[in-house]
Parts: sequence; structure tokens; C-alpha cells
Amino acid sequence: METHIRYTHKALVEKSKSGDRNAQYQLYELYVDAMYNIGMRFLRVKEEAEDIVQDSFVDAFKNLDGFKYESTFGAWLKRIVINKCINHLKTKRLNLTTIADHEYHLTEEVKEEAYEPADIRKVRKGIEELPPGYREILNLYLIEGYDHIEIGGILGISASTSKSQYHRAKKKLVEIIQHI
Amino acid sequence: MDNFEKHIRQNRAAFDVHKADRAKLWANIEGQLEPVKPKSIPLWRLPLLRAAAVALLLLGVTGLIGIPFITEDRNADFVSQELQDIDMHYQGLVSYHVKLVESNQQLSEEDKQEFLSFMDELDKEYEELRLEMRNNLDNQLVLQAIVNNYKKRIELIENLLEQLNEQKIDNDDDYGYTL
Repeated sequence: METHIRYTHKALVEKSKSGDRNAQYQLYELYVDAMYNIGMRFLRVKEEAEDIVQDSFVDAFKNLDGFKYESTFGAWLKRIVINKCINHLKTKRLNLTTIADHEYHLTEEVKEEAYEPADIRKVRKGIEELPPGYREILNLYLIEGYDHIEIGGILGISASTSKSQYHRAKKKLVEIIQHI
Repeated sequence: MDNFEKHIRQNRAAFDVHKADRAKLWANIEGQLEPVKPKSIPLWRLPLLRAAAVALLLLGVTGLIGIPFITEDRNADFVSQELQDIDMHYQGLVSYHVKLVESNQQLSEEDKQEFLSFMDELDKEYEELRLEMRNNLDNQLVLQAIVNNYKKRIELIENLLEQLNEQKIDNDDDYGYTL
């Protein structure tokens, strides 16, 4: 089953590999909104998100020969967009939340709290108000669905650091939501 | 995963609230992509051209390793040159004599046709020998057969002309005798 999912849009991908502009456009149509929303979640600036999405599609189409169906095309493209977003943020010198002071929390059990189902609009607003480092890690885990090992790879941190950061970000988010 | 996380994951789609300016973005993307190459059918996929390519390749390889075909061509040139010499020599003779026979007034049309039908038969034999020469380029026996074919024609013509001359002498004698 998983194998079949990985080959989603295979015909379009293969045509795009051979430079079929129509197939490339169809792939673009399928994924542009999703990728643009990722860009907006990370960068929050329309023009910057647009630039990242454009660059990501161009890179994807130019390097499509390297795509070997190890994931879905969508997942592959999403990783390109996210990597570009993170690099962009790094160049803007938006440091991820320093974790050095919180290393001792790594082995702490994070108590599961009984959250009331939150209004999604409040959650969205709360995420926007998070400090940049928290926002990134929360987006990656909660919205984009990466696990902590993958997040570690994307952000260049260890999986345990990612886990610790995420729980702090989530706690902060809940606090913000309660005040909205 | 706690209830808060589950709630967010279940409503994941509600986080995609933005719409991209599709036309503008695509225009910029397309501008950075290489122009679409014209659709082409690889020539090597066509069987006829594939065969031609193989032939060309063989010729090329042959040219690189010892040129056996060219050597054969030289033999062919040599033999055909020999045949050309024979043709030149005998064809002139034969056609000259044939014209003599055709223009001879003493021969009846019947005799001429009979003679020419013999010549036609020898022509056919000659063509067959030429074809045989193409298959057996260095066959001296075939070459000899061609020479014999020519000789037979000339012999036929000479015999015929000799007979005519004898008749003529006889007629002349008769004529003189009368005088």
C-alpha cells in the first residue's frame, strides 16, 4: 500500500522529467497552494513565501531526475520548500530558540495535560505569536507531521533536542491560546 | 500524542488558509525553466534506419580493420577491366559484322532472321556469363566462356559471310561466263 502511495502522480512526474511543460504545470497546480501555505507558516511574509515557492518548484523540476520515489513527490517537494524556508530564516539571522539553558529538561517526562479542544483559529493565531524558533519546531512537528528524527535532520539538531524544544513550544502555545 | 495534538492533526487542513497567486508564480517559474525541446523520435528506434546505422557502422569498422571490402573491390576492378578490354575488342568486331549481314542484299529476310536469332541466343548466354562474373569475380573459366561466346558469334558471321562470298564468286563466274 505504502509503495502505491509513493508512486502518486507517477505519470505526471515521469513526463515532467522529460521536460513536458504541461505535466510540470499540472504538478504545480496540484501542489502550489500547499507549498505556499508552508512558506507562509514559516516566513509570514507573502513576498518571501512566493519567492521560496518559486525557487522550490524550479529546483524540483530541474532536479527531478534525482527523484527516485523514495517518498511521494509531494513529500519530496515539501522537504525542498521547508529546507529553503529554514535556510532563508537562517540568513535572516533569526536564531532558533537557544536550548542550552534547558538541556536538563531532556529527560523530563512531559506531563500530558487535558487540553480542551481549541478553536483552530485561535491555534493559528497562537502559532503566529510564538517566538520564531518555537514556531518552526511546532510547525514541523504538529502541522507538517515530521517526527523528531526528521526535524533533527532539517534543523541540524539532535532528535532529543527537537523533542524538548517542541514540548516547550507547545506549552507556550497553550498559554497564548488561553489569553486570546 | 495528547488530545490537543490529535485535535490539531485532525484539523490539519484548516491551517492552509492562503491562496497562491498561481498565474504570477507560474510565469516566474516557467521563465526559469529551460525552453521546451521540440518532440523528437529517436532515429535509432526506426528499424530501417537502425539497419542502415548498423551497415554504416560495419563499413566504418571494416575501414578501420584491414579494409577487406576494398581489397575485393580492387579485384573486381581488375576483373571488370579485363572484361571491358574483351568487350571492347570483340563487341566492335561483332557489331561490324552484324551490320554487314543486315545490310547484305544477297541474304533473304528469312536467312537474316535466322542468323540474328542465333546471335540473340548468344547475347542471352553472354548476359548470363556477365552475371556469373559478378558472383565469381575471379573466375577465369567464366571469362574464357565469354571470350568463346564472342568467338562463336564471329565464327558464325564469318561462315555466313564466307558462304555469301562463295555465292558471289559463283555468280561472278556465271556472269563472266555469260560475257
